[in-house]
Amino acid sequence: MPSTRPSGSERWWLPWLAPTLTLAAGLIFWGAGEQFLAGAAVGLSALGFYGVHSLRARLAQAEAARQLMDERLLTTQKLAAIGELAAGISHEINNPLAIIRQEAEWLEELLKGARFQDQAQLLEFRESLQEIILAVERAREVTGKVLELARERQPVIQKLDLNRLLEDMARLVEHEARKKNIVIERRFALDLPPVESDGPLLRQAVLNLLTNAYQAIEDRGTITLTSSWAGPDHVKIAIRDTGVGIPPEMLDKIFLPFFTTKPPGTGTGLGLAITQTIIHRLGGTLSVASQPKHGTTFTIVLPLSWEPQEQRA
Amino acid sequence: MERFKVLVVDDEDDFRETIVKRLKGRNLDATGVASGEEALKTMAQENFDVVVLDVRMPGMDGIEALKEMKKRWPLTEVIMLTGHASVESGIQGMQLGAFDYVMKPVPLDELLDKMRQAYERKKIQEGKF
Repeated sequence: MPSTRPSGSERWWLPWLAPTLTLAAGLIFWGAGEQFLAGAAVGLSALGFYGVHSLRARLAQAEAARQLMDERLLTTQKLAAIGELAAGISHEINNPLAIIRQEAEWLEELLKGARFQDQAQLLEFRESLQEIILAVERAREVTGKVLELARERQPVIQKLDLNRLLEDMARLVEHEARKKNIVIERRFALDLPPVESDGPLLRQAVLNLLTNAYQAIEDRGTITLTSSWAGPDHVKIAIRDTGVGIPPEMLDKIFLPFFTTKPPGTGTGLGLAITQTIIHRLGGTLSVASQPKHGTTFTIVLPLSWEPQEQRA
Repeated sequence: MERFKVLVVDDEDDFRETIVKRLKGRNLDATGVASGEEALKTMAQENFDVVVLDVRMPGMDGIEALKEMKKRWPLTEVIMLTGHASVESGIQGMQLGAFDYVMKPVPLDELLDKMRQAYERKKIQEGKF
């Protein structure tokens, strides 16, 4: 038998230690017949038992902390691995998708010269081809987003007028928001200096969050778009909605790729994952606070001046 | 600001012709074409720094044209123009690498400002490679 055990069961003897000691002490002092000593021994072993007990509690605590760290590390590694795998698969799937689309379009062309005895049959044929093309597009949207998530795009840094950027994106969403009776309220700090960041990336992130906000509101509500200082060298963008909110047990999952609360086929579950990746690339942070039935606030904090991060391995 | 080359792609003749004239008046080297297909043909012959691209056009639409442009000329910056706000096409456009999204009608100064930023971005990226 090897003398080493797996690390998980190293402390297998702990539960037995105290009772064994007590028993041993009891036997020794019973033999000596000394009442006093026996009492002291029982006390001592009880003390020993207590010591072991607290030691066990501390070990359990340390073990739990280690497990949590392991889990976090594992999650990060898992996500990276899954991301790579997903990107690889997406790439491979894109090729056959392109062929399916191409062939479906070719069939549409051929159909123009084809004769059918039954007109209804021709219509059905056409509709079926349209469905195929639509489904291909849906699949391409997913693969495109997965590839985007995995792509390491280096930001191109320019001086940006943050409020201008927020205003532009608000206007883009406003039209659609109005149809659901949603008002977009702006609260911009007017003393913000230009922010060094990547315009197109930041626009994409803000637009994603604004879209989420107006999708979270079923009908009638307010989206509050705020810009403000966050300390002497950071700025904050907050996007608050009065929508359905996110249950607490889901809050830590919403940034995971493919996590979605939307019905199948309507959301890819990649929007927030992409948004978070973008904000990290810009040297910022993205956080969320939510109260079910009252609404959700997403907060972006960005540095005023951007410094290249260390290249990730 | 130095002179740079702009391609305006819009099927509305009045809008396109006027904006090209006004951009020339601001000392930009501006050209106008009426469709996505024409834009790709023109870009294959000349280099452009910035493209202003209408989203909704008959034939090849703006999103399709944008896809093709970013594939073939990744450094050329594209500003999308839209007559009505469409979140869907906005998100798609930004994902496909559009520089910005502008709603018509847009004051010329605002558009010019975005064009300059787009051009600056192109120069930064060219410096990197």
